[in-house]
Amino acid sequence: MRCLPAALLTIVLGLLSGNVAAQIVSAEWGIVQLMQSLGQVKSARGKFVERKYLAILSTPLEFSGTLIYTAPDRLEKHILLPKPETLVLEQDRFTISNPTLQQSRTLTLTDYPVVQAFVESIRSTLAGDLHTLTRFYHTNLEGNPSRWRLSLTPSEPAMQDVVRLIHISGSTNRIDRIEIIETQGDRSVMVITGIAP
Amino acid sequence: MNPSPRLAIGIWFAFTLICISIIAGATFTADLSAFLPRSPAPAQQVLVEQLRNGVVSRLVLIGIEGDTPPALAQTSKRLAQQLRRQADFTSINNGENTGAQKDREFLWRNRYLLSAAVVPDHFSVASLRKMLEENLQLLGSPASAMLQRILPNDPTRELLGLIEQLAGQSRPEMRHGVWFSRNGDRALLVAQTRAAGFDIDAQEHALDLIRSNFSTATGNSAATGQKLLLTGPGVFAVSSRENIKGDAWRFSLIATALVAALLLALYRSPKILLLGLLPVASGALAGVAAVSLGFGSVHGITLAFGATLIGEGVDYAIYLFTRITPGETSRSTLTRIWPTLRLGVLTSICGFGVMLFADFPGLAQLGLFSITGLIVAAAVTRWILPAMLPPGFVALEDSGIAARLSALVSRAPAWRMPLIILSVCALLFLALRQEPLWNDNLGSLSPVPLSEQNLDGQLRGDIGAPDVRYLIVAIADTQESALAASEKISTALNALVQQGALQGFDSPAAYLPSLAAQRSRQAAIPSPADLGNNLRQALRDLPYRPDLFAPFLADAETAQKQPLLDRNSLQQTSLALKLDSLLIKRSDGWAAMLPLRGVNDSDAVQREIALLKITTVVLLDLKRDSEQLFQTFRHEMVTYSLAGAAAIGLLLLASLRSLRRVLDILAPLSAAVIITAAILVLSVGKLSLFHLIGLLLVVAVGSNYALFFDRQATSAQDLGRTLMSLLFANWCAVIGFGVLAFSQVPLLYAIGSAVGIGAILSLAFSAILIARARNESHDSS
Repeated sequence: MRCLPAALLTIVLGLLSGNVAAQIVSAEWGIVQLMQSLGQVKSARGKFVERKYLAILSTPLEFSGTLIYTAPDRLEKHILLPKPETLVLEQDRFTISNPTLQQSRTLTLTDYPVVQAFVESIRSTLAGDLHTLTRFYHTNLEGNPSRWRLSLTPSEPAMQDVVRLIHISGSTNRIDRIEIIETQGDRSVMVITGIAP
Repeated sequence: MNPSPRLAIGIWFAFTLICISIIAGATFTADLSAFLPRSPAPAQQVLVEQLRNGVVSRLVLIGIEGDTPPALAQTSKRLAQQLRRQADFTSINNGENTGAQKDREFLWRNRYLLSAAVVPDHFSVASLRKMLEENLQLLGSPASAMLQRILPNDPTRELLGLIEQLAGQSRPEMRHGVWFSRNGDRALLVAQTRAAGFDIDAQEHALDLIRSNFSTATGNSAATGQKLLLTGPGVFAVSSRENIKGDAWRFSLIATALVAALLLALYRSPKILLLGLLPVASGALAGVAAVSLGFGSVHGITLAFGATLIGEGVDYAIYLFTRITPGETSRSTLTRIWPTLRLGVLTSICGFGVMLFADFPGLAQLGLFSITGLIVAAAVTRWILPAMLPPGFVALEDSGIAARLSALVSRAPAWRMPLIILSVCALLFLALRQEPLWNDNLGSLSPVPLSEQNLDGQLRGDIGAPDVRYLIVAIADTQESALAASEKISTALNALVQQGALQGFDSPAAYLPSLAAQRSRQAAIPSPADLGNNLRQALRDLPYRPDLFAPFLADAETAQKQPLLDRNSLQQTSLALKLDSLLIKRSDGWAAMLPLRGVNDSDAVQREIALLKITTVVLLDLKRDSEQLFQTFRHEMVTYSLAGAAAIGLLLLASLRSLRRVLDILAPLSAAVIITAAILVLSVGKLSLFHLIGLLLVVAVGSNYALFFDRQATSAQDLGRTLMSLLFANWCAVIGFGVLAFSQVPLLYAIGSAVGIGAILSLAFSAILIARARNESHDSS
């Protein structure tokens, strides 16, 4: 039983969250198992619609486009609407290309801890990389393999200033919803459909 | 011509006292730039000044290695914290965010004065509309949280533009909150000392502080295995002074001890030994005194060069002592050998004299030192020694050595053919070599050992401060006009960046715009009513909250009236440091420096700069310029050396009055120079300027041997004595120059090895070629 401590941890977390019944039913299933099954996905592609509710705006912003993930560390976000823009994350290089502004910038993630924490919340989850994920966040998992919700709360003060909570929801090894609640009350919800290997 | 002995000794005594009193008041330096060429162009002069005392000269690059990255990061943080409390340093940077807050505040408060984007059209309806639409898109990126905080004050994103401009400079990797090398082996810090780089005592104190704080920061560095690496101009200056000081003492002492041992073995009398060293000692004192008078200070390397004077100057006493035959007075011996000795001294002076013309203050010192030393040593041999030698002094009873030497020399001509063949081969080797013969890298002249130069290159690479190769320098009378010139150049360069001629550049005007530019930016901000109007129109149908941009309108109004920035406004920020390194106060004006990054098309940059019609703007290509500079100096030195060799030839012709004999004397010397050069090329690859000087000194020193060989011996006994004196004189020269071959200082090493090898070869080749020539002339007469 290699995963016994993790399983125990899951039960304890489950007790705390009050979702005792569900946890006991699937005592064998926890964040370690979820991460393992996510880690088995070698590539994925899907459409997304992202809504950002920002304090400085009176109506939400809406972006839509395609997400492409290639294991273990490449993630592409192609925004098509309202204006095209491409964000590519590979290892610790983060490239933003904007054809309208004719700009292309490459950042080294380690130089921007807050941005790094943001992108790792999604990439590490996709990659099933629990080690990296727990470097930036306290995790909490609710639900069961067919319907789960992973909650991430930042552990670093710099990130806590910006983000309060991230919810990543999915079924089995597919992520279909990412909700980011920012400290100042802003919120963004990304719904992903049609993720297919 | 022959003053009374007592008068001569009196004059010598007074002279020596004067020399000692001059030396007592002399200053001794170890300034590295003495051995860099004097730079003629004003723009390059700015650089040399910077190397001596500018901000660049105050930087110490610190590396910590030999442990896990987290442990190294911890040491880096502790060391930085401790050093920041020391008054010796104006700043300690290890990547921790200590200064960034102040920098950002400065940029934020003054963004409308600093931003080059603020032009009259910048706040028009169309321009604002475009910015506001772009903002909506940017809000979708991961940076939206930060953007939201600044947009209400700064919808035109001046701050982001400024940060991006400054972030264009490459920076080291961050790991565990501090700077690291790319591979994570080494934590990096940059310290800036309060004292200038040429203040070696202060630099040494600062370096000691770093070392002692490092050991307290690691607790016990031996246990953790953490190692401290230091480099930078100050480190070089301190270690070179150590090396030079060490070398000067060590090699002079070793050479003196070896020569003394040799003389003692030869004469078996401490008194004669002291008399033998008298000419050299007097010469050395006179040489140092002359340099002090002529140059105002004496360089450490000049003292180290004293070892060579011992090798050469001791010869004169040897020639005298060894040649005294039983029953002959020292005075009559001297009369006999003086013409030859005098000619030898004169040829040596021709050789060493070439150094006087060198464009390196350091080499000129060596030349003056050697010439004065040789003249005084010869004069003491001529007028003082005979008066001091006991009557009836005979240095050497007849011994078997002289006879054996004579036998050896009589067989030497058999080697004539092989020597000629060898010389031709060496000449062909040098002439047909594919690779360049000369090392045109300025670094080859640096007194800094190669290992330290390599460490410097590595740490510089780690810290992301790549060697600046292209640099634009603008010289102006006032700070304002230097900054205005920088702004003009920046505008031209921005266009070139767009075209891809270069990747980027840094400019002092980015940190402190000219007053004119600041005023024009203030003027570009519309009145509050107009700006509010423009904004209202630009915001139509966009989803921003009403009144969101009220802070922007207030800030713009403030900016319009805020006091203009001057140098003092940057105090307390790390930008002040940057500005100090790019905008420099000189004795007669100001210089602005704009380092270029990633230059693809230097011709295009050159063309655009020329079009600006600013008179005093130069694009420096440091690599090409320094190589050109070096080549010019090498050509000069080759010319001087040839002139020196020609002077030696003319001198010989004038005294010997026989072209045949002059050629006889020059033949073994040429062979020695060619073969020495070939040996040096084979062993070190490329020759430096210092090797060239060494080869010239081979002629200067070797000519003595050739001259004495050329002189007809009066008897077999006389021949034996001549040979003995030459052999011992030769050994002394080899000792004097040879010990320098073990020096860490490239100049001493190069000259020492060249003359050490060349002196032995000159003697052997003189025996082979001249003895034969003399035999032939005997036969024919």
